[in-house]
Amino acid sequence: MKHIFTCAFASAFLIFSSCSHKVSRIDPAETPDINGSWNNTDSRLTAEEMINESLSGKWLTDHLQAKGKRPVVIVGFVSNKSHEHIEAETFMKDLERSFLSTEKVGLVQSGKKREEMRSEKSDQQSNSTVNTMKKFGLEKGADYILQGSVNSIVDAYKRKKTATYQIDLELTNIETNEVVWIGDKKIAKYVKN
Amino acid sequence: MKKFLLSFTIIAAGFALQAQDLAQDQNPNYKTSMEKYKTMQPDLQSTMNTTVHNTYKAYDWTTAKAERKTARRNERREDRLYNQRYYDNYYNNNYYGGPHPYYGRRW
Repeated sequence: MKHIFTCAFASAFLIFSSCSHKVSRIDPAETPDINGSWNNTDSRLTAEEMINESLSGKWLTDHLQAKGKRPVVIVGFVSNKSHEHIEAETFMKDLERSFLSTEKVGLVQSGKKREEMRSEKSDQQSNSTVNTMKKFGLEKGADYILQGSVNSIVDAYKRKKTATYQIDLELTNIETNEVVWIGDKKIAKYVKN
Repeated sequence: MKKFLLSFTIIAAGFALQAQDLAQDQNPNYKTSMEKYKTMQPDLQSTMNTTVHNTYKAYDWTTAKAERKTARRNERREDRLYNQRYYDNYYNNNYYGGPHPYYGRRW
């Protein structure tokens, strides 16, 4: 009888422990590959490459020599033409942060955030005190626009697959339409299921 | 002569004002493009600072296999449901109405 109880308890323990859900914190810099899809490591590698390329590019020194002040950049859209859902904001924000932290490049707000900012300014015209009210028409105009694209090539047969991602970012002079910098990062993966 | 001089001065002043408005080497027809893009501005700027997704479906053997399996399972389920409904109607709607006394409900 005692053995039956021990066996039942042991089997119940095994069943419940195998079904338990476990979550643990990991270092974001060392995200493991699970199924070979785009992940945090790819985003980080892209950001690192783009930061190095953009901040050491000739366009920066050319602009400083010509204008005598740091360039101001506005962020445009990134087109994801790959086979996966890749949110470019993850590496674009790293790049923007590096622009500000190094103080080499200025940034102006764009998109929906800019709309919200203008809406707030509009609200201030009728609700804030005259002293604290912010004026329209004093925004800083960007010198360059940052745009990009994500492309991928997939080759698969049975359980083997290769996926190559190509991330391109480019800076264009808004006044002259001249592309002054193109940064690219290629990531190739071999997945065997 | 006076009229001629006056009109010449007006025209010359007009050109001078226009020249002042233009930057060096600027195209004098720039306003055509400016007006065109002013109307399109809200649409074109709606995607700024976002990721525009134009993704495609790449063939993956394991995914395709899983999809085929799911499709087969769904088909079988639909068939089962259809057959069940058919037999239910066949046996339950007998001459007297109500469930068949012998076959009962089929699952």
